[in-house]
Amino acid sequence: MSFFKLLEYIFVPHESNNQKARLLHAESLLLLSFFLISFQIILGFAQKTFPKVLGYAANISPSEVIRLTNEQRVTNGLNPLNESSVLDAAALAKGNDMLAKGYWAHFAPDGTSPWSFFIRFGYKYQYAGENLARDFPDASSAVTAWMNSPSHRENMLSPNYKDIGVGVVEGSLLGVDTTLIVQFFGAPLAETSQIPVAKAQAVSQEPQVSPTPSPTPMVVSQVGATSPPAEVSPFTSTKNVSLGVVGLLLLALSIDLIVVRRKRIARIGGRTLAHLAYLGMILAVILILKAGQII
Amino acid sequence: MRDLTKHLPHYFSLFGILLAGFAGLILFSYNKNFQVGIAIATAVSYVSWGIVHHYLHKDLHFEVFVEYLAMSILGLTILFTLILR
Repeated sequence: MSFFKLLEYIFVPHESNNQKARLLHAESLLLLSFFLISFQIILGFAQKTFPKVLGYAANISPSEVIRLTNEQRVTNGLNPLNESSVLDAAALAKGNDMLAKGYWAHFAPDGTSPWSFFIRFGYKYQYAGENLARDFPDASSAVTAWMNSPSHRENMLSPNYKDIGVGVVEGSLLGVDTTLIVQFFGAPLAETSQIPVAKAQAVSQEPQVSPTPSPTPMVVSQVGATSPPAEVSPFTSTKNVSLGVVGLLLLALSIDLIVVRRKRIARIGGRTLAHLAYLGMILAVILILKAGQII
Repeated sequence: MRDLTKHLPHYFSLFGILLAGFAGLILFSYNKNFQVGIAIATAVSYVSWGIVHHYLHKDLHFEVFVEYLAMSILGLTILFTLILR
């Protein structure tokens, strides 16, 4: 079979493929699903084997995260928060703790709470809050993701907080190069009350982060400080492969729509227009979805 | 396009389902569990739409059902690999 004939067999309704592009047969669709799943398995394996090549890494400045957060507060009629070097250090310590113990959560597997970092660094709080983000390409994406999440937004726009500290760390988390952003909010005890009543609030949602490490003057992240940024993002690879698959199917469906109409082919099958609409929606989602996670 | 104009109410409902799915996936981008639920709901709705549409059109066959099912599985696989990546 010549190359042209092969393309015709795959993309054009013809006698050879029972008047339907081979790519649009149910078996081919399931085969594509299998291919995508296999690709993910290989990608996961490659991430663990070559963490310096496949992973997320960015250069996010804590001061930029703080600036953008305060920008959001001012826009919403709130006072900007003061950057606290103590909270900066505590946030950085929390980030390093996640990398060292291999967890991505507000509470460590050993039960260590986010608030213990406040205490450890000598910040006595009346109110405390934490936002976490990972795998974001820049500070703006992370702040936008937090603002889109009601619970994280509540933390960022809470009038209870006076201080903010941000820690950005890079390193290998569970075998994958990543960048974590830890955002600590607090109101010191002395300023608001004599009674040490803590109202700590950890936000837990899904992540969408683009961390870019920029060590604070006080504490420099040891983890990943010398590791070069990952060269290939698993998310971008997945996105590109998905775009390729959807693109090929949209092409085959468009050809199918035209050829079937022109040749007035009668056949048993689904509606090409419906498939086009469904895949069009998938394509739009692929184009809009961004990397990153928040909790 | 003749198919579209002939079954306009059917396609309106399909576009409504897909638009709701798209909006949900974007609006709840901060919550992966929501996104997974929305992706599944959209895929199931899509297959259901296909069944009802072809049933009303009196051309519902097993092959047609399998085709919609395969398309929805592929769509779900794509969305899951991105959402859960």
